Amino acid sequence: MPFQDHRDFIETLKKTGDVIEVTKEVDWDLEAGAISRRVYEMEGPSIWFKKIKDYPEGFTLYNGSQGTWRRVAISLGLPPETPVREIYRIYEERLKKPIDPVIVDEKKAPCKENVLLGNHVDLYRFPAPMIHEGDGGRYIGSWDLVVTKEPETGWTNWGMYRFMIHNKRWLAGWPQPTSQLAHQMKKYYLPRNEPMPAALVIGTDPLAHMVATAPVRLGEDEARVTGSLREKPIELVKCETCDLLVPAHSEIVIEGEIPTDRIVPDGPFGEYPGYRSGTMAEGVGFRVKAITFRNNPILTMIALGVPIDDSSIAASLTAGIAMKMGLKHRGIPVVDVYVPPEGVTHLIFVSVNKGGTQVTQEVLNYFTARRVMVSKVIVLDDDIDVFDSGQVLHAFATKCHPGRGMLVEHYEGRANSLTPCYSPKERARLKGASVAFDATWPPEWPEEVVPVKASFKTIYSKEIQEKVTKNWKSYGFKEGPR
Amino acid sequence: MKKEYQTFVRQFKDLKEGRQELFIKDLTPGPQKYDTKQVMAEISSHPEKMTDGDILRIRSESGILLPQVWGIKILKELPESVPGQPWEDVFKAMGKSSGG
Repeated sequence: MPFQDHRDFIETLKKTGDVIEVTKEVDWDLEAGAISRRVYEMEGPSIWFKKIKDYPEGFTLYNGSQGTWRRVAISLGLPPETPVREIYRIYEERLKKPIDPVIVDEKKAPCKENVLLGNHVDLYRFPAPMIHEGDGGRYIGSWDLVVTKEPETGWTNWGMYRFMIHNKRWLAGWPQPTSQLAHQMKKYYLPRNEPMPAALVIGTDPLAHMVATAPVRLGEDEARVTGSLREKPIELVKCETCDLLVPAHSEIVIEGEIPTDRIVPDGPFGEYPGYRSGTMAEGVGFRVKAITFRNNPILTMIALGVPIDDSSIAASLTAGIAMKMGLKHRGIPVVDVYVPPEGVTHLIFVSVNKGGTQVTQEVLNYFTARRVMVSKVIVLDDDIDVFDSGQVLHAFATKCHPGRGMLVEHYEGRANSLTPCYSPKERARLKGASVAFDATWPPEWPEEVVPVKASFKTIYSKEIQEKVTKNWKSYGFKEGPR
Repeated sequence: MKKEYQTFVRQFKDLKEGRQELFIKDLTPGPQKYDTKQVMAEISSHPEKMTDGDILRIRSESGILLPQVWGIKILKELPESVPGQPWEDVFKAMGKSSGG
C-alpha cells in the first residue's frame, strides 16, 4: 500500500529506525538547520523536531524524508536494503503505467482542517526555518512542491522551487528562468499581464515531492507520474481561491498568485550543488491569498548542502531515469545512466553499447539541447557498471584521450546559474559550457589492437577462471570468491 | 536600545553612503525575525556618528557578512514590492550580452 501522506511515512520510518524524534526545544533560527545538516553529513536518520522555539505545541519541523537510499526505497514500498540499481529499475518500470489522480471533496481533504483567508493570512504562524547562516530569509518552501497551470491546455506543473518568507503575506522565490514554471509564465501570463495562480504545497506523499524534482517533459502532469510510482491514484482537492488542484493529504498549502508586474528580492540560499553561490536575484513574488493546513501541521524541510541529502538522492533517481529515456528517444545506444548523488546532477555516467566520438557528441547534444543542468558527462562502454564509481573512475582515467576525448559545447541563455564554477557574469547571462568525456574504445579500432582489460574476468580463459574459483578454498582462502 | 537590521548587496563595494531605497530585514528576535521591508533610509559607514540611528548589518550575494556594521536611519517605509517582471534581471543581462 502506498503512503497516503507524510505522517504514514514517518510512522513506517519509526519502525525501521530511520527517524529520530527530537523532543528538546529547538530554535527554528539556524539550530534546526545546523542539526539537520550535521546529520546528513553523518548519514543519519530523518529528524522530526517536535518542539520549536516561539511556536505552540503541535507546530513541528521534519527534515530529511528521502535523504538516504534506504528512505527512498521505503517511500517506494520496497525493503530498505534494496540496491540502488534495483531502485532505478523499479522506478523506470513503474513509470510505464501512469495513473490519473482522483479529485476528492474538501470534507475528505485533511489539508482543509484549518483555513486562513484574507486578513487572517499570516506566514509567521508556521515555524519556517532559517536554514543556513547568511541565507536571505526563512525558506518555508525547501522540500515543497509548487503547483501552477497553463490556462489553455490545462497542463499542471509540479516543481520543487525554493520560496522564502518576505513578510506576513508575501513569499519570494527563485524558480530558475529555464524552469517549467518560468516556461508557463513566459508563454501565457506575461504576454497577458495576468498574475499566475500558484499553490505551494508542504508535506505530502513523499513520492510527490520526489516527482516534483523530476525533469518530466513539458505538458506531462506530475500528478499522473506520482500515481504511477504509488501504483494508486493520488487524491487531489481544489484550492480555496483558484481552480488549482493540490494533494488532499498535504500538511500545509499556501495559495496565491505570482504577479507579472511586481517583484521582491530573493536569496541568497545554500543550494543543491552544495554552495551558496551568488544566487541572489530580483526574485519571483508570491502574493499569498489563503493558507490551509492540517491540525498539528508538520513543516517539511531540507537543510540543503553538500551531498548526500534528499535533493541529491531524489535527483539521482528522477533525473537518471529521465535522461535514459531521453537518450533512448534520440536513438542513442544507451545501456545505463547513473547520476551519482555526489555529482549533484552536474556529473553523469552514461554507458552505451557502441561508443566513439560520434556517439559521445550525440550524448552531449542531448544534454545541451534545451535548459542545461549538466556540465560533465562521462560516456562509457557497457562493460562498465555505471553504478560502481570505482569502475567509472578507472575507465575515465585510462580510456579517455586527453586531447580528442573531450568534447565541449558552449551556450548562452540556458545554463544552470547555480553551477558554482561560473563567474557572476556568466551566471547572470545563463552562460555556460558542458563537456562530454569519451571513455569508450574507438569503434574504428581493429578488435585485435583494442587493449585487453587485465581483470580476472577479462584476461583469463573460462577454463582458468573455473579452475581457480572451484579450488578457491583449497588454496587456504576462508571466503568464497566474490 | 538600537534596533538591528540586515541588508544584502551584490558586492560590498556597491554600498554607497547617504539616502537610498533598500530592502531591510528586521533582526529583532521572535517569530517575525527577518521580516522584510522596503524603506527610504540614510545609511552610514560610521554608525557612531549616527546617534539617532539603528544598526545595519550587511551581507554579500554569497551571504558573507561584512565585519563592520553600518548605521541606518529609516526615513520612510515604501511598498513591500517593486515594479518589475519576474526574471527581468536575467533577461536584461542576456539582451546586453547578445547586443540586443
